[in-house]
Amino acid sequence: MKKDLMEILACPLCKGSLELSIEEEDKKEIVRGSLYCSRCSISYPVEDTIPNLLPPELRT
Amino acid sequence: MGTRDASDIKKFVRERYAEIARQQTPSCCAPRSEEATTCCSPGAQETSYARRLYSREELESISVNIPSLGCGNPAAVAELKAGEVVLDLGSGGGIDCFLAAQKVGPEGRVIGLDMTAEMIRLARENAEKLSLDNVEFRLGEMEHMPIEASSVDVVISNCVINLSPDKDAVFQEAFRVLKPGGRMCVSDIVTQGELTAEVRESLEQWAACVAGALGERVYLEKIRAAGFVEVSLEGKNPPFCAEATTSGIEAAKGEGIANITVTAYKPK
Repeated sequence: MKKDLMEILACPLCKGSLELSIEEEDKKEIVRGSLYCSRCSISYPVEDTIPNLLPPELRT
Repeated sequence: MGTRDASDIKKFVRERYAEIARQQTPSCCAPRSEEATTCCSPGAQETSYARRLYSREELESISVNIPSLGCGNPAAVAELKAGEVVLDLGSGGGIDCFLAAQKVGPEGRVIGLDMTAEMIRLARENAEKLSLDNVEFRLGEMEHMPIEASSVDVVISNCVINLSPDKDAVFQEAFRVLKPGGRMCVSDIVTQGELTAEVRESLEQWAACVAGALGERVYLEKIRAAGFVEVSLEGKNPPFCAEATTSGIEAAKGEGIANITVTAYKPK
């Protein structure tokens, strides 16, 4: 995911803002990391550039 | 939705579409095997199926083989303008996102949302092949959109909302993420008359875009109930799927379903 799209991302549950932690990035985008919602205490993974923002019970 | 549990439906639909993504079956519709049946046309008609939805120019502009799982062309009907932010619900292989991306240009952006990881991966690969920088895909649910309120100019969706067991939530979420004055343009399947109980209860028929479909009047009412105004029917056609004579459509007695395209606005 590209950093500039962060601005319209939100927690799928509470719709609050998410805190980005980057573990790996290339020139274009974030490859691996996480998006943390402090209100829900849920961390959403970014894997292989794709943010997984499914509600936790639907994650596979 | 009958007696089926919403989570069972979601799980079944996800598995079915994951399988289609893995097979890269080039139509919603077009089963490569009995197990992978979804809504519409049979494999032999793949190309002509896509040509019924999209213009030759549009198809030529997307030079990769993308499964066309839709029943309309909402990106065209939405009359997208340069610089707009577009959200595609149930983006699948990405075809509608890529068409939208060309219309909104480098200053615009397109976000594809899909609940199936395999579809997101396929769409991403296609975006890379097409070198489109203004498209992003996110794994997420349309009933729980991971998108800020009032951040999107246009919500599009192509033959996907029927698959949701909670369409009220989908329309409410679409309304929430749209900017004031923003518009929603969706193509979908609706029922005409009653489906048989057998069809309604069938998960196969749910994944095939039939069992989850609402009547047209109810569909439009749910859009209005979510707060949308100027709700208008842009087009209505017999389903292309009718030719496929899948068991669900036969069970729906031929006249059972139709494709519609609807536009609706969030008040300014």
